[in-house]
Amino acid sequence: MTVQTATAPGRVTEESERAKAENTLGRQLVLPAIVLMMVVTAFPMLRALYLSLFDYSLTAPDDRDFVGLSNYWTALSDSLFWRDTANTVMIMVVTVAVELVIGFAFAMVMHRVIFARGVIRTSILIPYGIITVVSGFAWQFAFSNSNGFVNGWLPFMGDDFNWFAQYDSSIIAIMASEIWKTTPFMSLLLLAGLANVSEDMLEAAKVDGATWWQRLYKVILPNMRAAIMVAVLFRALDAYRIFDNIFVMTAGANKTESISFLTYRQTVEQFQLGIGSALSVLLFLSVLVVAFLIVKLFRVDLAQARQE
Amino acid sequence: MTADAAGRASVKRVWAVAAASIMILAGLSACGGDSGKPTLNWYINPDGQVTLNQLAKDCSTDEYTIKIQLLPASATDQRTQLARRLAAKDSSTDLMSLDPVFVPEFANAKWLAPFTGDLKGKVLDDDVLDGAAKTVTWEDKVVAAPQWANTQVLWYRKSLAEAAGLDTSKPVTWDQIIKAAADNDGTVGVQANKYEAYVVWINALIQGAGGNILDPSTVEDGRDAKVTINSEAGKRAAGVIRELARSSAKQPDFTTSNEGTSLGRMYPAKGAGEFMTNWTFVYKNYEGLIGKPGGPADKEAFSDLGWLRYPETVAGEASKPPIGGIDIGVGAYSKHLDFAQQAAACVTSPKAQTALAVNEGLMPSRQSVYDSEELKKAYPPDLLQLFSTSISEGGPRPKSAFYSQISSAVQSVWHSPSSVSDRTPKKSASFLKDVLSGKALL
Amino acid sequence: MNMTKNRVGIVIGCALILGWCLLPVAWIISLSFKSQEAITNGSPGFFPSSGTGAGWKNYEDVLKDDQFKHAIFNSIGISLISTVLSVIIATLAAYAIARLEFRGKRFVLTTALVIAMFPVVSLVSPLFDMWRTFGIYDTWLGLILPYMSFTLPLAIWTLSAFFREIPWEMEQAAQVDGATSWQAFRKVIVPLAAPGVFTAAILTFFFAWNDFVFGISLTSTENARPIPAALSFFVGADPFNRPASLLAAGAVVATIPIIVIVLFFQRKIVAGLTSGAVKG
Repeated sequence: MTVQTATAPGRVTEESERAKAENTLGRQLVLPAIVLMMVVTAFPMLRALYLSLFDYSLTAPDDRDFVGLSNYWTALSDSLFWRDTANTVMIMVVTVAVELVIGFAFAMVMHRVIFARGVIRTSILIPYGIITVVSGFAWQFAFSNSNGFVNGWLPFMGDDFNWFAQYDSSIIAIMASEIWKTTPFMSLLLLAGLANVSEDMLEAAKVDGATWWQRLYKVILPNMRAAIMVAVLFRALDAYRIFDNIFVMTAGANKTESISFLTYRQTVEQFQLGIGSALSVLLFLSVLVVAFLIVKLFRVDLAQARQE
Repeated sequence: MTADAAGRASVKRVWAVAAASIMILAGLSACGGDSGKPTLNWYINPDGQVTLNQLAKDCSTDEYTIKIQLLPASATDQRTQLARRLAAKDSSTDLMSLDPVFVPEFANAKWLAPFTGDLKGKVLDDDVLDGAAKTVTWEDKVVAAPQWANTQVLWYRKSLAEAAGLDTSKPVTWDQIIKAAADNDGTVGVQANKYEAYVVWINALIQGAGGNILDPSTVEDGRDAKVTINSEAGKRAAGVIRELARSSAKQPDFTTSNEGTSLGRMYPAKGAGEFMTNWTFVYKNYEGLIGKPGGPADKEAFSDLGWLRYPETVAGEASKPPIGGIDIGVGAYSKHLDFAQQAAACVTSPKAQTALAVNEGLMPSRQSVYDSEELKKAYPPDLLQLFSTSISEGGPRPKSAFYSQISSAVQSVWHSPSSVSDRTPKKSASFLKDVLSGKALL
Repeated sequence: MNMTKNRVGIVIGCALILGWCLLPVAWIISLSFKSQEAITNGSPGFFPSSGTGAGWKNYEDVLKDDQFKHAIFNSIGISLISTVLSVIIATLAAYAIARLEFRGKRFVLTTALVIAMFPVVSLVSPLFDMWRTFGIYDTWLGLILPYMSFTLPLAIWTLSAFFREIPWEMEQAAQVDGATSWQAFRKVIVPLAAPGVFTAAILTFFFAWNDFVFGISLTSTENARPIPAALSFFVGADPFNRPASLLAAGAVVATIPIIVIVLFFQRKIVAGLTSGAVKG
C-alpha cells in the first residue's frame, strides 16, 4: 500500500533513523485531525456519560442529585423509548431497501448511458446537495392538502386527504423526502461499484447464453458486493440518525418520532440534561450495535470502509 | 538542518497558523463593540413586529438604545431559545417578550430580575386586568411587566348562525355550534395540531366544565402538584373534542390546524363560513382583508362577522376563556439591569398598549386603555367589552415551573384529536403523574 | 432489435432519473411564485393558479428580511471557514496515511470511521454545556469546530484516495535531487493533489451547508444561526400562518449555491464521492 522509501541496501542505521523520522512526521501530521475529532466527540461523550448519572435539569441547576444508573432504567423501561427505536429501525430498513433498489436501477442507467452524461450526473447531484430541511419543506408542502399537488396527482386520493393526520401517511411522507434526497448518494456509490464489473466477464456470460437476470445475479451483484455493503452500511447508519425531516415535517406528531428526535427533545427542549445524557449514551451505543450487526450480518469488509 | 527537522518545523508552522486562526475567530466572536451608548437587546415574538419596532425606537433614550431580536413563531421554540441563552448566563439578554405560561419556569430558575421600588408599582397596579396581573407574579415578587393580554372568543358568520337558528343573545355551547355548522354547510375552526395552542383548547374545555389539569391550590408546588385531569370535567372536555372529530363540521386539516389554518374558511369560496375560536387579532385581520382574497368581499360582508364569548363546555356553566398575551421580563444577567427595567416599563405603558391594540389587534392588559378614545374608535364597543370581560374572567393554564413538561405531556396523550376518547383523561393523568415525578420519558 | 430495445430502456431510465431529481426542485420553485394570500386560502396544484402568481415579490421580501440576510451571511462564512480549515488539516492527515508508515495509522482510520457514524444528536447537550462554559455558545466558532470534526473523516478518505493515485516517483525524484520531504510535498505533490483537495473541499462545504442539528441547538440568535435553522424558524409578517411561499423562495435562494457548485464541478464531485467511499 505504501511505497517503500527508497534506500540503498545495507545502510541499516540510516534506514531505521528514517523509519523513526517517518513515524514521527506521520504522527505529527495526523495529530491536528485526531485532536479536533476527539475534542468534539470523545470528550463530550465522556461528559454525557458523567451527566447521565445525575438528576439534572437546566432550569433547576442547583438541585443536581446523583442517581446512579436510574436514568438508564427509566429510559429502558419506558415504552416510548422502544416505540421510537422501533420506528427508527423501521424507517432505516424501509428507506435503505427502497434506495438500494432505485439506486441500483439509476446506477445501471447511468453506467450505460452514452449521451447527456453530464446532464444526468448534474441533476442527480442536486438532491444530494440540497439541504435536508429544504427537502423536508418541499415534500411537506407537496403533501399538504391545502397547497400541495400530491392529492391532485394521485387518482385514488381524495383532495382533502390530510397526510399529516395519522401515522401511516405521515411516515410515508417523511420517508419520501428521505428517500428522494439520499437515493442519488446510493446510486453514485453503486455506480462506482459497477465500474468494477469487468465487461469481459459480462460478454463471456452473454456468449454462454446467460439471461439478463442470470448475468445480474451471477456476475454483476457478486462483483459489486463490497460496494453494495459499504453503501448499505453508510446509508443505514445515516438513516438511523434521521432527525431533520421529522423535525421539519411533523415535529414528531402522530408517533413519527425517531430516537434522535426523542434525545433532542429531552436535552434541548426539556432541558433534562440527566436523562437526556443517558439517552445520548444509549443512542450512541445503539448506533454501535446497528453498525456491528450490519458488519457481521452482511460480512462487510471494514478495511474497505476504512480505506486501508 | 536535516530534512526531517525542516519538516517538523514546517508542520509546527501549519499548526501555529491553524491555532492562530482559531484564536482570531474566538476573539472576533467574543468582542461585540462595547463602546459608547449601551444597547439593550429585546427578544420579541413575531406578533406585532411593526409596532414593536416602533416602540423600541420610541423607548430608546439618550442613555440606551433598544435593539429588536426576533424569536421563532412557536411558543415552544421561543422558550427554548431564551432559556438556552439564560442558562448560558448570557449578559446580552436584556428584555424578553415572554408567553405568560413560561414566566413561572423562568422565575423559578432565577432568570428574571424582579421589579422593585417605584417600577414595581408602575408595571403592576390596580389598572391591570386580573387575568393578566396573575401571570407576572411568582413567590410574591413581580417578575415581569404585563404588556398585552390575549384571549379567545368565538368568531362566526352571523348569516351562518341565523341559518342554523342559533340564539346568539346568550352564550352558546360547543355542542350547539358543532351541530349548527354540520347542518348548514359550515365548519368549526379550532387549534388542534400537536402544539401549545391545543393545550389552550383542552385547558379551556376542562375549566369550562369546572375542572382543572392540575389542582390550582397545589399547582405552584412544581413536581408535587396534584393531577386532577382525570375527572368528570376532563371527560366532558374529551367529549367535545370527540364530537368535533367525528362531525362533518371539522375542517380537513383538523389534526394539524393552528391559528392561521382556519382563517381562510371564514369567507370561503364555497360554503357558509365557520365558527372559530381564535385570538383577538382576528378582527383586525379581516378588517385589513376587506376586498382581498381570503377576506370579506366588501364592508357588508365584513359586518357579517360576529363574536361571542368563548363557547361553554357544559350548557349553563360560564366558560373560562383562554388567557394569553405577552409579559416583558428582564434578564437576570443583564449588564444594564436598571436601564432594562426602565425600558420594560416604557414598552408596557398605556401609550404603548394603545399603539399595539390599534395597529396590531393585540389587546391591552390595562382597563384604562380599553376605555380610551383611540380604542373606542378602532373597535366596536361590544367587542372591547367582550375582550376585557374575557380577560378578567378567563382561566389561566397551570401556573407551574414545570409548565412546558406539563404541556408536552398533555399534548402527547391528547394528540391526535381523532383518537381522543373517554379513556383519554385517565391515561393523561397517569402519564402526567409519571412525567412530573421523573418516571417517564416525554 | 435488441440494441434499440436497450436504447429505449435507457432513454426511459434517463427520463425517470431526471424526473426524480428535478420534479421536487421544480415544485419548490413553482411554490415560491404563489402569492401569500393564495397560500393562506389554500391553492392546491403544482403551478400557481391564474391570478395568484406573486411574480418576484416573495424573493424581494425574503432578500429584504434581516433574519434571512444574516443567516445567509452566517452560513457562507461558517461553511467557508470550516471548509478551509478542515481541508488543511485533512490534507496533512491524508498525506501521512497515504504516504507514511507510522504507528497509530489504524487508530486514525478507525476514529474517522466511528466519527462518520456518530449520532450527532447525542453530542448536542454536552456540547451545549461545554460551549456555554467556554463562552462560544451562539458564535461562529461554536459551529465551526463541530463542522470541522464531522467533515474530517470524509475529507481524509477522499484525499487519501486521491493521494494514492499520485505518481509518487516524482516526489522521490525530487528528494533524490536534494529536496527535503517537506519541499517535495509542497512543490511536487501539492499541485498534483490540488484536484483532490478541491473535491474534498466541495464535499465538506456541502456538509456544513446542510447541517441542521448543530445549527438549531448551538445557536440562539441571528448572531450565528445558519440557513437551515433559520428556514425552520422562519416567520413572515403573519405569525399564525407559515409563509409557505416565502419559505420556498428562501429555500430556493439557499439552494442556488449548491446548484452553482454542482453545475461547475459535477465531474469532481462524482469522482470524490465514488473514490472517497469505495476505492476503485
